[in-house]
Amino acid sequence: MRKFDRDFSLIRTDRRVEPSGRLWNPAADVYRSSEGWIVKVDLAGVCMEELEIEIRNSNLNIRGCRKDTHIREGFTYHQMEITYSRFEKAIQFPAPIEGASIRQDYSDGFLIIDVRREQD
Amino acid sequence: MPESVENTTPTTESLPTGSEIPATEGLRFSSQAAGEPFEVAVLALQNLTIFPETVVPLGIGRPRSIAAVEAALSTQEKLLGCITVRPDRSDDTDAKQTDLYEVGTLVMIKRMERIDQGMRIIAQGTERIRVVEWKQEDPLLRAVVEILPEPRTVDADQVEAAKRNLQQMITEALALLPNVPPEVRLAVLGQVDATRLSYFLASILNLGVEEEQKMLEANTVDDLVRLAHTSLAREVEILQLRSKIASEAQTEMDKAQRDYVLRQQMRAIQKELGEDESGEAAEAEQLRERLEKAELPEEVRTEAERELKRMERLPPAAPDYHVIRTYLDFILELPWLKSSEDKLDLAEARRILDEDHYGLEDVKERILEFLAVIKLRPDTKSPILLFVGPPGVGKTSLGRSIARALGRQFERMSLGGVRDEAELRGHRRTYIGAMPGRIIQSIRRAAVNNPVLMLDEIDKLGNDYRGDPAAALLEILDPQQNNSFRDHYLDLPFDLSRIFFIATANQLGPIPAPLRDRMEIIRLAGYSDREKLEIAKRYLIPRQTTENGLNNAQLKIADDAIELIAARYTREAGVRQMERNIGSIARKVALKVAQGQAESVTVTAKEVREYLGAPQFYPEQARKELPAGVATGMAWTEMGGEVLFIEATLLPGGRGLTITGQLGEVMQESARAAQSYLWSHAAEFGIDPNIFKEFGVHLHVPAGAIPKDGPSAGVTITSALASLYTGRRVRPDTSMTGEITLSGLVFPIGGVKEKVLAAHRAGIRRIILPSRNEADVDDIPEDVKSELQLIFVSGIAEVLDAALEVLVANPPPSPSMLDAGRGRQPEPEPLTVKG
Repeated sequence: MRKFDRDFSLIRTDRRVEPSGRLWNPAADVYRSSEGWIVKVDLAGVCMEELEIEIRNSNLNIRGCRKDTHIREGFTYHQMEITYSRFEKAIQFPAPIEGASIRQDYSDGFLIIDVRREQD
Repeated sequence: MPESVENTTPTTESLPTGSEIPATEGLRFSSQAAGEPFEVAVLALQNLTIFPETVVPLGIGRPRSIAAVEAALSTQEKLLGCITVRPDRSDDTDAKQTDLYEVGTLVMIKRMERIDQGMRIIAQGTERIRVVEWKQEDPLLRAVVEILPEPRTVDADQVEAAKRNLQQMITEALALLPNVPPEVRLAVLGQVDATRLSYFLASILNLGVEEEQKMLEANTVDDLVRLAHTSLAREVEILQLRSKIASEAQTEMDKAQRDYVLRQQMRAIQKELGEDESGEAAEAEQLRERLEKAELPEEVRTEAERELKRMERLPPAAPDYHVIRTYLDFILELPWLKSSEDKLDLAEARRILDEDHYGLEDVKERILEFLAVIKLRPDTKSPILLFVGPPGVGKTSLGRSIARALGRQFERMSLGGVRDEAELRGHRRTYIGAMPGRIIQSIRRAAVNNPVLMLDEIDKLGNDYRGDPAAALLEILDPQQNNSFRDHYLDLPFDLSRIFFIATANQLGPIPAPLRDRMEIIRLAGYSDREKLEIAKRYLIPRQTTENGLNNAQLKIADDAIELIAARYTREAGVRQMERNIGSIARKVALKVAQGQAESVTVTAKEVREYLGAPQFYPEQARKELPAGVATGMAWTEMGGEVLFIEATLLPGGRGLTITGQLGEVMQESARAAQSYLWSHAAEFGIDPNIFKEFGVHLHVPAGAIPKDGPSAGVTITSALASLYTGRRVRPDTSMTGEITLSGLVFPIGGVKEKVLAAHRAGIRRIILPSRNEADVDDIPEDVKSELQLIFVSGIAEVLDAALEVLVANPPPSPSMLDAGRGRQPEPEPLTVKG
């Protein structure tokens, strides 16, 4: 009878499950400049050396991982709100950017990518 | 505040859209490369399964679970293995390694906060993992796990179709659910990836751990979508039902609806298990398989295949579909070619027949003869026997014994009251609810095509405007035609010629002559008192003793008690009432024994009254002395034989012949013939011819309430009248039977055995019989015959010689005296004169 009753609630009320996106999806601003594009990604705490940036057609893909590098032996969490995760950020441009030159910078927790169109 | 988007409840923005992520790109987010095992802390989940790509808030309370989360948090990646505990655990202790499934989900802890003793985490499922090796159990579970690949798509089109179907169903379900949070609504409807949609559905639907685990373990998208589809279909169905019930304002579901829901579930489960056989294709397939395996004659196979093809073309909703299905089922069940081996051991057969029945020598002989013939020539056509006899003489059980002796199946069908030809021969399939006839149904029950088939009470067939069943029997019982008997329903020839038919009847009269002609008639007359005694001792008493829970030592019934029961408590040719009486004695004895009043009981004639009450029958006994004008006759009844007295008196001044006692036409006529014969031969027998003119005669046959008929009392009536006219008494120890003719001949009559037995029972020791009945005397048991003096006669003169005393005991009034009397009226004058 218990199983029978259970079958009569279509959606569980005891869980608040949500579908997730692909893990952590860091926010990004894209500026348009006279020379091309400037992309600013909110990537505090990410190790720059492990970043992968890739251009394909009109897409800019950024991959990487934020790890908790502050945790030490003997530490315990009292509260955790920061997401530590691999991430992938894909930004689509209205035009192909293949062949553009890229310069990346890291300031105040933001990753700044300067995408310059190659002068013809 | 881009960061906050991540950490609050997801909105549409947080949902992946096609433009943001190239959806098909299978990116691996775990910190380890796929396929390379790594160690991770494991959280045992009770009653919950986490799927990849879902976010689940979890409350953590158990110390071991807290330890696992702490361990996960103290790594850089915050990864935790979540594995569900198998559902069959009942206690609440920490789950052991073996209690957990092997496949789980790797989650990333997104947030954690502490509440009281425990913690709350928000976990995000990332990858499916499989446990490679357990590392530790306390203080927390740790295991080496490997990442399982994402489910792969086998048939993209099918997956797409199933996905659309799913979405369609979701829309339906959402329409029925008023309180779904909008984010769930959006999340479900916006999902484009079949895998994610399925996982998400699995985590929000209430499927139970087993189902959920099954989905988690699915390795192809096809399987996954199918499982999701099945589950959702069931849920939606239940939901629809629920809303229907709600709309009917029913607070409680009645049984039928509950059954419906359960059945739906069962169907879903059966489908899941691959046991789904309700599909019409499967049904046809099954039938075809059975058809191929079945042993059938060629004609039947062809017809069955044709019908099966027709059935396959029909939609299952068509009424014909089921008609054909039932028909095919029936054909497949019939024993077309299956027959049982006959036991052909004559000695054994004899033993079985003797074991079941006492006496009945000629019947047993007949059966053994038949067996001998089969033994010599196995393809012999079975005979058709007709047992005629009064109720309770063992006709039906004899049939059973024959079956046992032959080693054949026994089937019995009662024809009593059957008045529709279709009952025997079936209805054509065009009729709704058509069924095969009883013959074919009996054969199906017997499951062989050579059973012993008993047609009980064949004399009680009825007939009316629906046709004459006796006519149908003509075909069934004709060995020349019944090898291709066509039942209307089957419409295929079935060979009945191997069936051993046995019919039973109480009387021959009602059986139509052509039918009678097809059967070998075997008469089972009633049993004599001696035979009844034997039967009681050998069969009835042991049977009733055991049936009433007694043993042989506890109940003994003396011979004289049995004889008393037979004579005074029953009136029958068979032994049915006697068995009932023995049964009631046995029950009363059982009561005594059970109450501890007696250890064992012996019942003698004296005690019978105590058990059965006062005797119920007072059979006519031979009278010590008969006055002139009374003769003893014998009658045949369905119960056997009886003795009766024919009384005649002279009516001074009366006229003609008055006949009373419910006599039938034939009997009245034989009375008239008797009188006429005596009149015409008055001188010969020394009768004053004037007596016929001046006296009327009253003839009476007691008991007055019982109708009587037949010619066999002719001899007795003649004797009574002759005695009356001559004044010579009929000998009281003599009884007689026989038909007379006007010319004075005595013709044979039937039922000699019963009549003689009845006379013997009544204490008569001289019996006058027609000489042409001499052969029938062989049937009379030897012990009875030896006590009797049988006198065979062929003319009335011989009868009177044998029956009447020589002395004139009380001479009849002379007609002249009567004249004188008339003159001296009104003075009364005695009519009889002392001799």
